[in-house]
Amino acid sequence: MAAEVDLSTELFGIRFRNPVWTASGCFGYGREYAGLFPLRELGAICVKGTSLEPWEGNPGTRVTETPGGMLNAIGLQNPGVEHFLKVDWPWLQEQGATVVVNIVGRTVEEYAAVARRLEGSGVAALELNISCPNVKEGGMAFGTTPRGAAEVTAAVRKATTLPLIVKLSPNVTDVVAIARAVEDAGADGISLINTVLGMSIDIRRRKPHLGNVFGGLSGPAIKPIALRMVWQVAGAVRIPVIGIGGITTWEDAVEFLMAGARAVQVGTACFVNPRAPLEIIRGIRDFMVETGVTRVTDLVGAARPQGSLPELTGGSRENASVRSRGTAPRPHSEAAEALRQFMKDADRA
Amino acid sequence: MTGLKDSRTRGEWVLETARVLAHTGEGDLRKLVLQAPEIARRAVAGQFVQVHPMPRPLAGADPLLRRPLSFCEIRPREGIITLMYRVVGKGTRILAAARPGDELDLLGPLGHSFPDPRAGRGRLVLVGGGLGIPPLVAAAHWAREYREVEAVIGAPTRFYLAGAEELRAAGVPVTAVTEDGSEGARGLVTEPLQRLLEEGRVGEVWACGPEAMLAAVKELCAAASVPCFVSVAKHMACGFGACLGCTIPRAGAPGYLKTCQDGPVFAAEEVVLRGC
Repeated sequence: MAAEVDLSTELFGIRFRNPVWTASGCFGYGREYAGLFPLRELGAICVKGTSLEPWEGNPGTRVTETPGGMLNAIGLQNPGVEHFLKVDWPWLQEQGATVVVNIVGRTVEEYAAVARRLEGSGVAALELNISCPNVKEGGMAFGTTPRGAAEVTAAVRKATTLPLIVKLSPNVTDVVAIARAVEDAGADGISLINTVLGMSIDIRRRKPHLGNVFGGLSGPAIKPIALRMVWQVAGAVRIPVIGIGGITTWEDAVEFLMAGARAVQVGTACFVNPRAPLEIIRGIRDFMVETGVTRVTDLVGAARPQGSLPELTGGSRENASVRSRGTAPRPHSEAAEALRQFMKDADRA
Repeated sequence: MTGLKDSRTRGEWVLETARVLAHTGEGDLRKLVLQAPEIARRAVAGQFVQVHPMPRPLAGADPLLRRPLSFCEIRPREGIITLMYRVVGKGTRILAAARPGDELDLLGPLGHSFPDPRAGRGRLVLVGGGLGIPPLVAAAHWAREYREVEAVIGAPTRFYLAGAEELRAAGVPVTAVTEDGSEGARGLVTEPLQRLLEEGRVGEVWACGPEAMLAAVKELCAAASVPCFVSVAKHMACGFGACLGCTIPRAGAPGYLKTCQDGPVFAAEEVVLRGC
């Protein structure tokens, strides 16, 4: 007899069927996968990064394989927000899918304009992409300093009443400072990590493999980096953290939950095994039954030292814009925490 | 698609666990015979499968991605497909270790096929270079039911005329050239093709091979006003339209087409092909 387990999670006042989402850029607008399983079975779909006008993307070779991963330099090719609203969104609604729209722009104004265009559309949330390494303007330029990240977050915050997730780049020296900056600027949630900047060279041609020279590394190779950053950020903010980075199996997903993520996104794994998100959902359920966990939320932060996962503030987006850091003490410094954890682990070893 | 009536096939693809029936070859060339009934039933010449080198794609995670391989032969009644490939790197080295009885994980059939041979007129000339020859074997089997078909193939050496035997076995006349003269005339496929075009004996061309060859074939056909379809190979991650990694510039309009989904077979005038 299978025990009843509850996979649902509530983030920023919205209930998600389960904590397994698909990551932006790896799931298109869902159509390529719809023949394999009902899209409503996913926690949510983060659609391809969507801009105000259509973007063509980068010329030359856009993908190449690396050990345990792949590099991409797609350049945010997308058909634009009008196309999304007219063509993709009605279709996604017919599928019963929960949809998070990943938005991109070249300027703060463009980000805000896309957000305004999606106001009242009925999508579940926005995910602000300030971390794409493959476009010269916009993208990562906003995501690598606390000030740039806060500026674009605040502008989009003003432009929308939708829950606002900010997707962070790992290509920074202090991800926690950026996480805190976007929290203070009104973000309702943080997703991380985007791809890790990398490159590879074709030694026969004596040229970089990618037309863009640099690209974003994704896949199992980046999972330990992603997990560490999720652990750090989840311990430092009072808004939900969504874990991304090389999640390929259900065990990977459980690791991210135990590090403090309240949901996860599956990306590159979908390219290899288009049924991966479903297999991960099934795997988490079986694991919960096997280990006697009834609510998936009970796994969140389970691997952390007691008391190191801060309580979430309010959770409703109404207070997001008036949230004040002054009232609650900031969770203890992540550096101190990392050091303490390191010492503890060293003792055990 | 452009004004040309589009008679290429693209249908629903499936995930299928295939069984290796035979795996032969010498040097760095391999031929893989697979029992994959569902894919064999749906496949049309010009389409491809994404093969993972390992039987359990997600457990090992390295190599991560699948390898796109076009159908060499399709035998729907027996539920068999054959694929030919060259061992070039880590993925294909691991794939080369698969033994009869082993299982392989496939996605397919993916992409658009060659056009319906009944939709064109006149003699169909298949032009293949190196590992671009095997996909023409399936094309030959299909097209010769309806059209007069002949093939012009080339490779650096006789050894790399992969699929030449299969092409002859399909019952089409084959003209082979090699860069070192080890079989046929010394030279490139464009030379015999040019002769056929000048003789006015070509109604339509289907080509598969390196991009520089496709660019040259496209140019010759355009000059002779002969319809030309090309099967393009690009690096790809997913193979089914989600990653946008395998794009090819659209000709005569801005933007890109997806090689995996809008191709791999294109009407030559639709895409920009890079010469050497």
